Amino acid sequence: MLLAAGVAIGAAVMIGVRRMPPAPAATPATLAGRGGDLVVSMRTEPASFNRLTRRDASTELVSILTQAKLVRVNRASQAVEPWLATSWTRSADGLHYTLALRPDVAFSDGQPFTADDVVFSFAAAYDDRTSSVLADSLQANGRKLTVAALDAHTVVVTFPEPFGPGVRILDNLPIFPRHKLQAALAAGTLARAWDLKTPPAEIAGLGPFVLSEYLPGQRLVFVRNPKYFLRDDRGTPLPYLDRITVEIIPDQNAEMLALEAGQTDMTTDAMRPEDYAPLHRAADAGRVRLLDLGVSYDADSLWFNLKPGAFAQDPRASWIQRDELRRAISMAVDRKRFADTVFLGAGVPVFGPETPANREWFSADVPQTPYDPAGARALVASIAGGQSPRFTLLTQKGRTSLERGSAIIRDELQKIGVVVDVVPLDGNALIQRFVSGAGYDAIYFRAAATDTDPALTPDFWFSFGSAHMWNIAEKTPATQWEREIDTLMAKQIASSDLQERKRLFVEVQRIFAEHQPAVYFAAPRVFVASSSRVVNNAPALIRPQLLWAPDRVAVAGAARPTH
Amino acid sequence: MLSYLARRLIFAVFLVFAVSSASLVLVRLAPGDYATESLGIAAHADTAAQTRRRFGLDRPFAEQYRDWIVRAVHLDFGRSMAYDRPVSDLIPERAANTAVLAFTALAMATLIGLPLGIITGSRRSGLLPDLIRIVSVTLLSMPPLLTSLFLVFLAARTGWLPIGGMGGSPDAAGGRFLDVVRHLVIPAAALAMPLAAMFERMQSQAMSETIGQPFVMAALARGVPRSRVVWRGALKAALRPVTSIYGLVIGTLLSGSFAVEMITSWPGLGRLMLDALRARDVYLVAGCAAAGSVFLAAGTLVSDAALALVDPRAAE
Amino acid sequence: MIGQRLGIALVVLSCAAAGGAPILAPHGVNDHFDALLNAPPTLPHVQDDGGGWHAPFIYPWRLADQLEQRYEQDRSVRVPLLWLRGGRFVASADEQQSPLLLLGADSFGRDVFSRLLFGARTSLSLSLVAAFGAMIIGCAIGGIAGYAGGLTDDLLMRASDFVIVLPAMYVALALRSVLPLVLEPRTVFVLLAAIFAIVGAPFIARGVRAIVRTERRLDYAVAAASLGAGHLRLLGRHLLPAGRGFVAVEITMLIPAFIVAEATLSYVGLGFPEPIASWGTMLHDASNIRAFADFPWLLSPAAAMFALVLGLNLVVQDRRPERWH
Repeated sequence: MLLAAGVAIGAAVMIGVRRMPPAPAATPATLAGRGGDLVVSMRTEPASFNRLTRRDASTELVSILTQAKLVRVNRASQAVEPWLATSWTRSADGLHYTLALRPDVAFSDGQPFTADDVVFSFAAAYDDRTSSVLADSLQANGRKLTVAALDAHTVVVTFPEPFGPGVRILDNLPIFPRHKLQAALAAGTLARAWDLKTPPAEIAGLGPFVLSEYLPGQRLVFVRNPKYFLRDDRGTPLPYLDRITVEIIPDQNAEMLALEAGQTDMTTDAMRPEDYAPLHRAADAGRVRLLDLGVSYDADSLWFNLKPGAFAQDPRASWIQRDELRRAISMAVDRKRFADTVFLGAGVPVFGPETPANREWFSADVPQTPYDPAGARALVASIAGGQSPRFTLLTQKGRTSLERGSAIIRDELQKIGVVVDVVPLDGNALIQRFVSGAGYDAIYFRAAATDTDPALTPDFWFSFGSAHMWNIAEKTPATQWEREIDTLMAKQIASSDLQERKRLFVEVQRIFAEHQPAVYFAAPRVFVASSSRVVNNAPALIRPQLLWAPDRVAVAGAARPTH
Repeated sequence: MLSYLARRLIFAVFLVFAVSSASLVLVRLAPGDYATESLGIAAHADTAAQTRRRFGLDRPFAEQYRDWIVRAVHLDFGRSMAYDRPVSDLIPERAANTAVLAFTALAMATLIGLPLGIITGSRRSGLLPDLIRIVSVTLLSMPPLLTSLFLVFLAARTGWLPIGGMGGSPDAAGGRFLDVVRHLVIPAAALAMPLAAMFERMQSQAMSETIGQPFVMAALARGVPRSRVVWRGALKAALRPVTSIYGLVIGTLLSGSFAVEMITSWPGLGRLMLDALRARDVYLVAGCAAAGSVFLAAGTLVSDAALALVDPRAAE
Repeated sequence: MIGQRLGIALVVLSCAAAGGAPILAPHGVNDHFDALLNAPPTLPHVQDDGGGWHAPFIYPWRLADQLEQRYEQDRSVRVPLLWLRGGRFVASADEQQSPLLLLGADSFGRDVFSRLLFGARTSLSLSLVAAFGAMIIGCAIGGIAGYAGGLTDDLLMRASDFVIVLPAMYVALALRSVLPLVLEPRTVFVLLAAIFAIVGAPFIARGVRAIVRTERRLDYAVAAASLGAGHLRLLGRHLLPAGRGFVAVEITMLIPAFIVAEATLSYVGLGFPEPIASWGTMLHDASNIRAFADFPWLLSPAAAMFALVLGLNLVVQDRRPERWH
């Protein structure tokens, strides 16, 4: 049933693409055969096979292919689906969730999966000596969850306080094999476990595939996990594919050429706007399928350093942190022109952190800043107090959308009498200046959200959060409106009534729009491409767009010829 | 001779030490560290602090450096943070891949560039030398990034050759060896083309200078056939400049090329170095730089020996 | 010597283009046309479709597909060219809607031809200054090492090896972090020229050392020394000139390398601030498969570099080998 929903959404998305050639896309999912293999390209190598310590996209992909979780957020429909847990109930006070685990499930090495593995995985994620990157994303309002095994196939997850998104948060925790890693956790060496030298046979998982070969700098080969527990609705054991080869192609141009030439089947990231034309030609020739997934969840944004006292010794202190400056910037930029130049027209204007793609949480009721250069000029003049405003805008070198976007911001602000010195830095230098909190005026960057549910991105909204860009990790809210957002968000997270949560969140977005601590201009449309023999795609807007549910991906026709 | 070698060896060891130490200092001076790289912009302060502690990045630099030296003496060059593997493990693996590429490219460049340089240098004008000269200049004025991208683009559009990677899969048509050879063509050509052009230009200049010298003039005046003078007499003297930089070329080739290895997905040392630089992977950067200096020291030794062979007057 | 004259002509032409950029370029370095991103060149015509003759004019481009960046020529409109107006040598009569794009537009909709001319100023001056610096340092080190021999030779050569192996990118990164965020173009110029001169010098030093070493033992040098020529005089007047040809060829190779390297260093933030044009960054921005497939005019800086390097080569190569002893 869930599969059908995924396919329906996938099909709806495909219809959106202009001049789609008649392709085997029409093949119903249920007709997709079992077998075949897939070649996928990825630009960076995984840093480790241990998802506990790494959060790079490549390690994440290895985890997606080889591990399973209690629940899975359907990345296409945003619904929470059962996975290792078959069902769950919530206690009356909303604090305890009792999850029934799927019986008769075994790890890829044959060891049975039990509630102990769930308890172990939580312990591993929260372990101090491991300092797992997963710990950050397993917090309800900044506090840890607890878990207990009732019997071999039942666990109780307890939240420290009522938590609106509920079990959705469990999508952040892959289940690790206790029998393989228990010793490392006890010895405090878990962070070092499953490094890239680990023989593939040592890495046991519950996911649809198992790692069979790793050639450093070249490729990873994954083969079907025969112990994988899911079946499709016709009873065919999943995954459909026999093998997935991940080729490491560091250059994006080469990646696109490989896809176009049929040497790979898909990429693990969205394509750049400039790749659209060549891939469209390849699609017209029937070699690839091009999918327009609609507007992205994330947009680049500009924020100022709002840390109190950051400009204490600076004559610009009288205006640089004022709300009016940011409002003027927001008014000065023609968002249509912005989308046309930066995304070649494949983008839409946005006015806040939630883009229209986030159907559940985006609200059209939130005020949108009009394009009004004359008003912006007057506003700037009113606060500048005779100074001619000038600031530096840091951005990351080498990312086209950032480089172009900052150039347009510079041009548009020049028209209202504000001089912007765009300084492109390498990513590390940029982050270093940002984290230190004192080394910058303003930054133009993209900090991608990890979840569409605002309750699962607390670090952005709360003043104590680490992704509260304009003033990170405040001890107490620096402004009255940040305090208000904190209060509203705390309520929003604690509520389990979806309508109430939406209402509160619109309120939060209103306050945000009024003060615009981060200014947003446009969000791109997301395009992905795959070879035309790939079927069953339920593409998602976030990475890996075509591979978030690898167990359901299939290929049409015979096994691919070797090249 | 033995003392000469010993002195070279001492200097080589010193060079390796100086280069890797300087790299450590430079990585330290560059903004950001491995924690900012791996955790990104929204990292929790505690997580970042824990990561730093785990990799020992929170200790004073003097202490880190002392530890590194003590371990390096025992041939333990630390552990790469980005790859979570010992540096001494990673480098040989990639260096071998780069060496395959480097020697293929060097052979191609030498076999093509030197003879062409002799032709253009010994003949003043004519269609052939002009053509060779124009091709050389074209190759020299193309950035390596563009040359490799263009070759990959050609490979993709014609479908004649694989686009990237090193191949070597045993089930490929023609077996493992042939598969590697097929994958080798594009990156080796991308490296060899500008190199061949460089050899051609240098050899050409040296050749035309040598031919103007009295001993060649005298030989010609004595009635020795021109081709014999060119290919025997003048050539030996004219090899001097190319020989003198041959060591540098070997050294830099073995350290790997960022642009070529990136674009053609060749899993070599250049790519490893670039990744290490980006990730602020301190010990891996130092290791790569050390490897580069070993290659360079070896290369210059070879080229000095060759120089002595070509031109005994240059020997000690 | 036809070759040499052609060579001089090419070099002079490059320099003249750079010098005359403000007049010769139809547009400023940052003028951009939002509706003409990656638009093809507008070639001047003198004959319309009906066969009628006119003063030079252009046909404007109209956007056919924004995302694919396809343009169609509007053959119904003739836009005349204006000569010697407003301080420009030539420009289109309708600058806003249909600008004169002799070499098309780049991905920001800026005129590639104008940027090529302005970029010539940056790239030529930087690479020439840096090459000159590299020559001075390289000859000094190579000359002394080759002349003195022994420990001095070893020390100097190992120092130059050190420079070659040191990851230059990190030097740039470290430098960047201690410098102020906003750098004046002049500061960037001096910094880059200094870095390039130092990085390029070892290549020259190595060859010069080999040449000086050999020449030192030749009869004429021994004779000069026995006649009481001082070390400096011997080195400067007799030995170094023997390396002239080698150094000249090295320089013709270093110049294009420096032009390209400027783009690499701008990657770590040590480049000229936007919108200053340079051939290196123009080419770097064009390093994309679409430049080969759809927008070949973006590669015109490579053609310009070719002309320059060919010119330099012809000048160097066709110099009759002089008799220096």
